[in-house]
Amino acid sequence: MKICNNCVLPETFPGIRFNDEGICQFCERHSKVPEEKFFTTRERFFGKFEEILGKIRGKGTYDVLMAHSGGKDSTYTLKILVDDFNLRVIAFTFDQGFISPMAKENIRIVCANLDVDHVLITPGRSGMIKTFRESVTTDVYPLKALERASAICNTCMYLAKASFLRYAVEMNIPLVAYGWSPGQAPVQSSAMKLNPPMIKQSQTLLVDSLGRIMNEGLKPYLLDSRHYQMIDAANEQFTGHFLYNIHPLAFMEYDEGKIIASIKDLGWQHPTDTDSNSSNCLLNSLANQVHLDRFGFHPYAFENAGLVRDGYMERKEGLEKLNQPMDERLVVKIKDKLGL
Amino acid sequence: MDYIPTVKDFIVDNFLFGEEGDLDENTSFFDADIIDSTGILELVAFLEETYDIKIEDEEMLPENFNTLTNISIYLKKKVEAVA
Repeated sequence: MKICNNCVLPETFPGIRFNDEGICQFCERHSKVPEEKFFTTRERFFGKFEEILGKIRGKGTYDVLMAHSGGKDSTYTLKILVDDFNLRVIAFTFDQGFISPMAKENIRIVCANLDVDHVLITPGRSGMIKTFRESVTTDVYPLKALERASAICNTCMYLAKASFLRYAVEMNIPLVAYGWSPGQAPVQSSAMKLNPPMIKQSQTLLVDSLGRIMNEGLKPYLLDSRHYQMIDAANEQFTGHFLYNIHPLAFMEYDEGKIIASIKDLGWQHPTDTDSNSSNCLLNSLANQVHLDRFGFHPYAFENAGLVRDGYMERKEGLEKLNQPMDERLVVKIKDKLGL
Repeated sequence: MDYIPTVKDFIVDNFLFGEEGDLDENTSFFDADIIDSTGILELVAFLEETYDIKIEDEEMLPENFNTLTNISIYLKKKVEAVA
């Protein structure tokens, strides 16, 4: 299979083109951005983040709601928010029913060692199983969304993000933090204000995607007029600084080896009950396998390509990660649980 | 300056996988399922990098980014203000 000579995107990636040197159009465009801009943009968003902290610190119930999956990146982000930025953090875990037992133990140990409050929400099992099953057997998401992540991951993220948002609004928490790697989202979105019109737009997308599957079951994930009144009131309290999505790993150092070493000091252990591409989720192997079978490219290809392009990952390592075999035993077991 | 061709190329390349289809200057990216909530982040990153602008918090509104025409109007105001 033809693969970009610079990153890891294969010829099966939607809409990809290669130039005479075998370089994809994403790498071509990236190469036109001056290297110093990469650093100045990161500095700009780090500055913006610090400015936001100056406006919100100590004013809400907590300073930050950390979306904590128990994986390495969200664990590390939680750690730096507490230790480096000295913020009052509440960790929030959305357990869709398939967070591995070892990952749950990691969550418990890390939250205890960082001495942070922790909220766990676990939606009803039958509804989640039905939603995941429909996600992989019917067309729920536009192809663009599936370019970045599998259908199962999209379902989980759509619902988790909506849960975090609603909880943050109800609890008057001005920041929602994610442990997204630099390959998962651009630095330009790393400290982004969620204005009510944008929130309404994303809620519409949620309803359009999952409404027909979940019906009334989607209600706990939606905001109503009461929430928008809360946002307006909070914006007065926070002088216009309510509510932001942040993903600090986009503007801070990102080194997987250092991240793992750092969180091991907190008692985090690499789970052995997940596949090699995930440090928290039992659905991952099946999600990846279904995606590969259906679309012919790995759902992590886009993220890894971004990490390679930005110099966070060697191309060889990126390719190796994408070529790792799925855990067949786990695929069969999860297929059975989902009734596939 | 006509911003539409460059932005359109980006949209077609990144969100429509090289297939322009029915996209015109007033097609709503959201209504037509062209851009989702994560896609908007990529679009914002592209506009900031390409036109060397800073999109402010209060400008992060769907109406600024939901069609080629509206992006063009937004860019004209923004780039001319910088110049």
